[in-house]
Amino acid sequence: MKRIALCALAVLGLVSLFAGIWWLNGRSGGGRYGTSFFVSAGIFVFVFAAISLRWMHETSAALLGAVSVWLFHYVAGTFFPTFQILDFEESMRFVDWNVIFLILGMMIFMAMFSETGIFNWLAFRAFRLARGNAWLLGMALILLTGIVSAFLNDVTAILLLVPLSIEIAETVGIHPLAYVIPEVLASNIGGAATIIGDPPSTIVGSHLGLSFVDYMVNMVFISAICLVVLLVLTTGLYWRAFSTARQRTSPALVAQLEADARITDNRLLKKTALVGLATIVLFFVGDQFGMPPSVIALVGAAVLITWVRPDMHRMLREVDWTTLVFFIGIFVIVGALEATGVIGWIADAIAHLAGDNLTTATVLMVWIPGAASGIVANIPFTVAALPIADFLTASINGAGNLVLYWALVLGADLGGNATYLGSAPNIVAIGLLAQAGYRVSFGRFMRDGVPVTIVTLALATLWLLLHY
Amino acid sequence: MGKILCATRGGAASRASQDAAIALAQERGDELIFLYVVDISFLNQTAAPLVVDVESRLEKMGRFQLAMAQERAAAQGISAGALVRRGQLRAELLAAARETEADLVLLGHPVGTEAVFDEAAIQSLATSLARESGVKVRVV
Repeated sequence: MKRIALCALAVLGLVSLFAGIWWLNGRSGGGRYGTSFFVSAGIFVFVFAAISLRWMHETSAALLGAVSVWLFHYVAGTFFPTFQILDFEESMRFVDWNVIFLILGMMIFMAMFSETGIFNWLAFRAFRLARGNAWLLGMALILLTGIVSAFLNDVTAILLLVPLSIEIAETVGIHPLAYVIPEVLASNIGGAATIIGDPPSTIVGSHLGLSFVDYMVNMVFISAICLVVLLVLTTGLYWRAFSTARQRTSPALVAQLEADARITDNRLLKKTALVGLATIVLFFVGDQFGMPPSVIALVGAAVLITWVRPDMHRMLREVDWTTLVFFIGIFVIVGALEATGVIGWIADAIAHLAGDNLTTATVLMVWIPGAASGIVANIPFTVAALPIADFLTASINGAGNLVLYWALVLGADLGGNATYLGSAPNIVAIGLLAQAGYRVSFGRFMRDGVPVTIVTLALATLWLLLHY
Repeated sequence: MGKILCATRGGAASRASQDAAIALAQERGDELIFLYVVDISFLNQTAAPLVVDVESRLEKMGRFQLAMAQERAAAQGISAGALVRRGQLRAELLAAARETEADLVLLGHPVGTEAVFDEAAIQSLATSLARESGVKVRVV
């Protein structure tokens, strides 16, 4: 039923979009929007719907979209020049290689770190320190997930921490949802704190050419505030569950839990921790040498590979190439939108809506991505919204302090918490819970996600308006 | 003495089927084996970087779930076995039923709002499993 409703909504949206464009085209005297305008918009809407409605794998959809851009350009464009969208060389200029290589470098780090077992060990220490206090343990796990998500990719944080959190929840006698859903929300909030935490953060930070520190000083405070608010809201939402939880497993099972949370490779841990620390320091000082975050991540990854000497074939297999292809595809598709004037057309409409008022534009740039991220994929949305932020920043007085970009990051990251379709960590966590026998419905996730999203987006808006 | 293979995931929704399997094993004097299948096909939709060995991590979680089920059985005086397999549920259930030479495969009715499968899916799985394996399949 939900799927049918979403499909109907997508078709309705598609029809409305084309009807609107056709109407505008007619009003402007015709011919303002050429065939390539409609074709690139159609390709983007198809890819967007395919990803958001889970018709196909995200990477397949993005690759199909990019290939469609080139097919229309080269094949149809040969016979009908109005079909020419973007050639291959030109489209490569729209790919943000800083994002691609930053993700690649961080993947090598994550692959090595995940083999050490350090995060599970930390989670188990929290379990020991909480001494059966379910609330204290929940708060510790949520904070740990939020902090880990700021320095590792948020999906990796969820894959590392959620399975053990489910075991811990069952051990202390609390429903696993009381830990896992807030952990997922924390991963999206924590991901906004640094340029490497969440894809929208990486995309926007890289687009602006920001260093790790430049990005962090702007985002870490509001992310920390939102994380604290999440702790308060979680306490309220799950107070009864926290207060009635009683340990129900035997010492043998606790011993098994401990065995699952052991550090698996001490030597690897020492090496990855040292190189990881040096890389973080380099992230902080790299700006002095004009080094972009991607180069710093690759330097760290290269040092780690040289020192640890992993099996390179295995290492390269562990790099998730689907992610990199996905990003390249999305950049090409959005590049086509820019090249054919679709982005300019949308930016005009938003500028018209905002007038010359920075406050209105800021509110729109938080809440439009915020609302959209709950139902559609936030990565293509962020890539497509960036040129709009560029346009508005150039055209609205006082927007030179980058407030509209921060609004976009916060909207896209925090908005992803509203539903379980909002971001990749949500989808992964729902799958992990199902593996443990806990199915989470769309409405059940929203029960926690929507209030947290509304409160954190409101806080973010207030902070942006006061701070910038 | 026969063998009962009980597929389980853990969670509140699975406890009823675990209890039914324990009661049946007691009643028939059969050997009881709990089975957990690690299926990571849910990761096939996302392009997020998956650099963690998810299957191994979920295998540990599965062993923990099965250990909980074994403790429930032990409390009833039944010493149950545990088996974890990786792959798609239907194929792995079929393979496990053959390898363990089970006489009876037990699947749980969906209970409450958290059950991962609906009734129709469970009945369909039971029918196809019985047809392909020749083993008696019961939904409890």
